[in-house]
Amino acid sequence: MGHTSLEKIIALQKKTPHIRNLCILAHVDHGKTTLADCLVASNGIISSRLAGKLRYLDSREDEQIRGITMKSSAISLHYTTGNEYLINLIDSPGHVDFSSEVSTAVRLCDGAIVVVDAVEGVCPQTQVVLRQAWLENIRPVLVINKIDRLIVELKLTSQEAYTHLQKILEQVNAVTGSLFTSKVLEERAEKDAEAQSSCTENGSGDQVYDWSAGLEETDDSDLYFSPDRGNVVFASAIDGWGFSIHQFAEMYSQKMGIRSSVLLKTLWGDFYLNAKAKKIMKGAQSKGKKPLFVQLVLDNIWSMYDAVVTRRDKEKVEKMVTSLGLKVMSRDLRHSDPKVLLSAICSQWLPVSQAVLSMVCEKLPSPAEISAERVEKLMSVGARRFDSLPEQTQELKKAFLDCSADETAPVIVFVSKMFAVDSKALPQNKQRPLTQEEIAQRREQARQRHAERQAANQSAETLKGTELNMLPTALSVKTAVEEDNKEHFVAFARVYSGVLRKGQKVFVLGPKYDPSLLPEGCSAADVLPSVPHMACCTVDSLYLLMGRELEELDEVPTGNVLGIGGMEEFILKSATISTSPSCPPFTPLNFEATPIVRVAVEPKHPSEMPKLVRGMRLLNQADPCAEVLIQETGEHVLVTAGEVHLQRCLDDLRERFAKIEISASKPIIPFRETVIRPPKVDMVNEDMGKQQKVAVIHQVKEEQTKYPEGVQVDSTGLVTLTTPNKMATVGVRAIPLPEEVTRLLEDNVELIRTMEQFSLFAWEDKTLDINQKILENIQEFKVKLESNLQGRKWRGAVERIWAFGPRRCGPNILLNSVEGYRRPSVWQCLEREKETEKAEIRDFDNSIASGFQLATLSGPMCEEPLMGVCFSVETWDMKLSAPLAQQDSIDEDSQTAEPNIDNQNESSDTHETNASSASSNRSRSGAEAAGSSVDCYGPFSGQLIAAMKEACRYAFQAKPQRLMAAMYTCEIMATAEVLGRVYAVLSKREGRVLQEEMKEGTDMFIIKAVLPVAESFGFADEIRKRTSGLASPQLVFSHWEVISSDPFWVPTTEEEYLHFGEKADSSNQALKYMNAVRRRKGLYVEEKIVEHAEKQRTLSKNK
Amino acid sequence: MSIFTPTNQIRLTNVAVVRMKKAGKRFEIACYKNKVMSWRSGAEKDLDEVLQTHTVFVNVSKGQVAKRDDLSSAFGTEDLTEACTQILAKGELQVSDRERQSQLEHMFRDIATIVAEKCVNPETKRPYTVILIERVIKQLQQSIQIQRAHMRLRFVLPARDGKRLKEKLRPLIKTVENEDFTEQLEMVCLIDPGCFRDIDELIRCETKGKGTLEVLSLKDVEEGDEKLE
Repeated sequence: MGHTSLEKIIALQKKTPHIRNLCILAHVDHGKTTLADCLVASNGIISSRLAGKLRYLDSREDEQIRGITMKSSAISLHYTTGNEYLINLIDSPGHVDFSSEVSTAVRLCDGAIVVVDAVEGVCPQTQVVLRQAWLENIRPVLVINKIDRLIVELKLTSQEAYTHLQKILEQVNAVTGSLFTSKVLEERAEKDAEAQSSCTENGSGDQVYDWSAGLEETDDSDLYFSPDRGNVVFASAIDGWGFSIHQFAEMYSQKMGIRSSVLLKTLWGDFYLNAKAKKIMKGAQSKGKKPLFVQLVLDNIWSMYDAVVTRRDKEKVEKMVTSLGLKVMSRDLRHSDPKVLLSAICSQWLPVSQAVLSMVCEKLPSPAEISAERVEKLMSVGARRFDSLPEQTQELKKAFLDCSADETAPVIVFVSKMFAVDSKALPQNKQRPLTQEEIAQRREQARQRHAERQAANQSAETLKGTELNMLPTALSVKTAVEEDNKEHFVAFARVYSGVLRKGQKVFVLGPKYDPSLLPEGCSAADVLPSVPHMACCTVDSLYLLMGRELEELDEVPTGNVLGIGGMEEFILKSATISTSPSCPPFTPLNFEATPIVRVAVEPKHPSEMPKLVRGMRLLNQADPCAEVLIQETGEHVLVTAGEVHLQRCLDDLRERFAKIEISASKPIIPFRETVIRPPKVDMVNEDMGKQQKVAVIHQVKEEQTKYPEGVQVDSTGLVTLTTPNKMATVGVRAIPLPEEVTRLLEDNVELIRTMEQFSLFAWEDKTLDINQKILENIQEFKVKLESNLQGRKWRGAVERIWAFGPRRCGPNILLNSVEGYRRPSVWQCLEREKETEKAEIRDFDNSIASGFQLATLSGPMCEEPLMGVCFSVETWDMKLSAPLAQQDSIDEDSQTAEPNIDNQNESSDTHETNASSASSNRSRSGAEAAGSSVDCYGPFSGQLIAAMKEACRYAFQAKPQRLMAAMYTCEIMATAEVLGRVYAVLSKREGRVLQEEMKEGTDMFIIKAVLPVAESFGFADEIRKRTSGLASPQLVFSHWEVISSDPFWVPTTEEEYLHFGEKADSSNQALKYMNAVRRRKGLYVEEKIVEHAEKQRTLSKNK
Repeated sequence: MSIFTPTNQIRLTNVAVVRMKKAGKRFEIACYKNKVMSWRSGAEKDLDEVLQTHTVFVNVSKGQVAKRDDLSSAFGTEDLTEACTQILAKGELQVSDRERQSQLEHMFRDIATIVAEKCVNPETKRPYTVILIERVIKQLQQSIQIQRAHMRLRFVLPARDGKRLKEKLRPLIKTVENEDFTEQLEMVCLIDPGCFRDIDELIRCETKGKGTLEVLSLKDVEEGDEKLE
């Protein structure tokens, strides 16, 4: 078959019923790309000699080197059997990391070729792809590949091979069956739930009896693969042969005079040929006869391999060739490698492309046969039911089903991914053979240039200036070249309805677009109203995808796979394109793998940061599964599906998108610091307090170093600290907050922020309008807080909250326990109507709060934010000196002197301002003024901030400190046999299993566990490796958890000595984390430079 | 010549000498290398891991032990261990190689951390990572765009001072984010943290305490993660 011309394909594209969109799916290394090669070769695009070796669709360099496919790529093929068919073939990768690429491929197809290795059988990815095909409602056909390995490697007899093949078929069908069962059960459960809700009075007793009814009622016979149904092909793509039973049935019906329909039914299965009776009988196995399949089919192939490969019997080969009526070139006959001869014979005798393509054309549906069920599934996003969509949208379903290429039909296109193409590869820029005139022209130009150069050389010494003039032009040429190397994005898409034309105006609908939000009556031609997730653009260029090449097209009718250029501005990863704005976005792709491997990337040369950012943006667009983000810490994080995927992303960044050297490292792990109630038991679970503390070396220096001068700590943890100028003293105590309160504070950050804003406005005597809903929420939040802060210690605490921190809205509380100081509460937005009794704000109130904010932002353990700590200010004394007071009174000249209410402060200078008095003077202005008393310690407000911050830190340290680690919840799906290994990996990484249950209707277990983020690097990959891909974890950040071990713990009691030894070298998890963070931040780490003094190299250097 | 040839010069190996002059006398103790700093910082708690011997010398390399009388007159005790700890704490010593190395490393880290903490990328308003800063410092020929993270201030000035003060404040302010001049001048602006005291002083003196100054954020950085899209 010759090379199919572009015109032919264009003509075929218009015949929708003769189009087949299909993808090849399989486990890694089962021969997808090789099979694709054979199919490509049948169209004369590559030589059939090279088929299977070239891997034409693996166009990336690393794909060729590694020998695995990493992206899905499409090619259009032409096939004739009476009718002419256009086959849009998409090859997909098999590796787990790239299952997102499979999703993008499956979405665009109507059918799938599932390839299974005849030796390895059903592998984990086979199951996955079958599931994916199932979820997308596309019809699969089966190719059992690598049959040659059964003959050559395993040296099975044809009889053994038959049983082996049967087994594989059973395995595949078992997978399909379980998918089917789970779906039926699911539907049943839904129905049950509906039934139950509709008639609750019905006793549930009768439900028990018909539990299996659902399964029996539903017909599943057309789901399964069976050779006699014609949806199975046996093949060896590498040797270029393949057959379906159909072919042999035809062949033998002519030869033996048995009707082909009978043969078709009996050729696979437990039948044998009774030669005497000339009858086909049942029960070959029980009678010890050769099944028909072995006798008529396998034996022939076996003898062929025997003659050609094993014994190299030339005469026999020639006999076979002539009897089959084939022509083999003498060059092939003489070739020393028998494989060459074999593939020469086989590819003529039983060409694999013939077998596969005819099966595809017969068994797989054309785009026009799209099922209503699938359409509804595609159109209903998320949990939305199809019937809930707007009417106009529902009407589009008809367009889907019609699949018509009419002018009037609305255009509906789905873009499943964007892929980057070198601008050189675009057809516009492709080099074409030059015409005669052009060649002449170029020659002329070259001659001129040559002449100029010679002239320049002659006058080089005299005319340096000209060269300088020429320099800028050279530079501009260079930039032009760089421009050329820009990556172009092509959208990988399929037309579901209508005809997409070049220059057409279309709507691009993002995945979050909602057609029901649309204003009435607007079409693509209108000026676009701003609707979220919708853009309007003109189709730039259309391409026919031919593997590594692109061919330009002017229009693409319905049912075809195509590439769309110039969409990178509008589409991020996937989108729906339509001329009708009421078209809903398609359901998001089902990704089997979510990105979990996180790394931080940095350019080798820091100045290339902008390039990196640009490159990462491009990468994000080009890869359906990669995620990129900039973290608050300034790290650029790349999240990928696995290590191989990561490697590919990094390669892409280096060579295509950023074109710079980059390095990847573990990202920074966040921690939180907190305090807890003093533990009752020690590390060996002995009751504390009763035991005698052993005199220890550890305690020798500790006491003296802990607190500097000016800090007093009493036994209850109250810390009193005076500012350097001895003007003010604050007493602070740290109290752990109950866990529920912390969670409450975290969940209500927005509310706290609103409250904070309100207080700020109130401060300025303005009011902020908060809507009723939020006020109710705040009220509810307050009630919840109160209910969680019970007990004597917390009496009235909620009313006394001074501030939240850090950043004014964090999970820590500053409590006002100063006797006699009543400041306006943070809840004042709730009490607006009541006009509460006049609360006053003292000077420097803000400084105390600022000190608290600073202290909570970075704790003493490793400068990480605090969490779940309450700082209670118990005393706050101020002694402001006379000059300050005077200055203040000057400030207050416009204000009427107010009586001093505060008795606690003897000093008369603390002027009290009414928060409610609407004067332009506020206490803070006085505060700032007071701060102007310049002494050697700087402004007073600053001193107070620092003092408060230090006091908080010491108060924190006076309590048992703990580190909090970020935790992932991780959900692992695993089969029963690898369960043990999953547990091993989890426990090695400090994970904790929460629950484990069996998934209904399958043999999969679902394990829920929590795992510290710090231990999660390489976790997914390790689990995958250890379970050979049978378990795949999904990690999601869930919460912060206190690490139970004390980072400052040293053994003190006799028991602990016995258990841990003197130094307690056994790893302390919290200490390990803490020191890692401190080291990273350049803080002091209590570590000896040399562990053992005697074990140093004792010689001096110059000896 | 592989035969060991004795020399008349004896070198002490693995010994760090800590010296102290007290009461007109010189005292020395023999310690292990790389250990004295750990002791001083409190990381090493075992005295035997620091001292070679609980003896106070006059000269360690000559092996001359200090006299008991001198010890008691200088340290007020005859307890050798006590004297040793005093010398360890206050004496002078030659910092040994690895101690110096770790000190330098520590300082370098510290500097990089401070730079990373205080500065942002002016384009993205996001901090740089410490590792990146370290790398830039090490390879000095490279440069990145860096800017001291701005401080966000909000001040309210009485109307009559407003206009006058604004002119004076103008050169100190980087960008004005919000300005509202109705009955009083209210401004939210970004400043270089170095100017804070000047501004504070200016407002306090010029308005005689009537203006208010509030720090909204110490450093103006982008919060939260950003998805690159």
